[in-house]
Amino acid sequence: MLRFWQAATLAGFAALLAVLSNALAGPQRRLPWVGDYPNARVVPSAAAAIPATPAAAGSRAPAATSEKRSYPPHPDRPWVEIGGDEAAELHREGVPFLDARRTSVYIEGHIAGARSLPIWESTVEDGIKRLFDEGTDVNAPLVVYCSGGDCEDSHMLAQKLHGYGFNNALVYTGGFPDWEKRGLPVEKGAPK
Amino acid sequence: MSARTRPWWLSPWVSIRVQLALGAVFVAASVPKILDPPSFAHMIYNYRLLPGGAINAFALWLPWVELLAGLALVIGVWKRTVAGITAVLLLLFLAALSWNLARGNPVNCGCFDLKAKDKPRAELLAEMRWTILRDVGLLLLAAQVLAASRIREGER
Repeated sequence: MLRFWQAATLAGFAALLAVLSNALAGPQRRLPWVGDYPNARVVPSAAAAIPATPAAAGSRAPAATSEKRSYPPHPDRPWVEIGGDEAAELHREGVPFLDARRTSVYIEGHIAGARSLPIWESTVEDGIKRLFDEGTDVNAPLVVYCSGGDCEDSHMLAQKLHGYGFNNALVYTGGFPDWEKRGLPVEKGAPK
Repeated sequence: MSARTRPWWLSPWVSIRVQLALGAVFVAASVPKILDPPSFAHMIYNYRLLPGGAINAFALWLPWVELLAGLALVIGVWKRTVAGITAVLLLLFLAALSWNLARGNPVNCGCFDLKAKDKPRAELLAEMRWTILRDVGLLLLAAQVLAASRIREGER
């Protein structure tokens, strides 16, 4: 019985410290107490690591015939995946880029002009609301990226954007590593 | 049990070192998590075990339990309770790792290092096996603290 109370005291004290430290934490390391992760228990399969959605697969052909791919809104799906060629083209056209990675990584280097919307940080909701308040067209393309490979932060951000009513998130699957490899414009520095 | 019949692995010399080592491991494991809860939440998310709503709360709370339990072991208060807590935590970690190993979902441990490593699948799975071994070792240390503290209570 004594042991139980000791254990409960320790657990309670830990909870108190957790509340305090989270309340005092800066926005980059604070967490909302109740998270919002729709796919928290979906195990990613090895095959899904490099997904080939029809949109991404079909995009190769128009590029070869120099036909321009169009990006109609897709309210039925949270995202459509795109490759590096499309991302580069959209960047030239001035389509907004959203960086889903942590702020610390964003500062070290990001796609030129990209806005920081770190999906794992507490500021992400405010960032999306600001995007909305600025009058961003919910049907216009928004390119979302993270660090490529197995990184799913961009998909999580696209899901969140979809929840806010944005119908045209395009996930750049290669992400920042692919962008750098192509020698496309990169910037450094803290988010504005 | 008198000092003479006590096995070597329950001697005070061994006991104090085991207790300090186990405490130090838990303190060391807690610090990076306390400094960066979002990274730890991401690690927990990758295990795909907890319901989405519980991930953040767990990521915020667990590191402080680890820190307090580790400190208590180092200082030497509530030894038996705290050894029990570390044993329960280690069993949870073992279950989470084994479950993901069994279903072939490679995860970064997130035990001490919160940087996600972009490693090949096979390598991550191999690392998980080593981590399981390490956790079993730590569990043995916790068992030693429990056994040793029972003796001391018996002598009183």
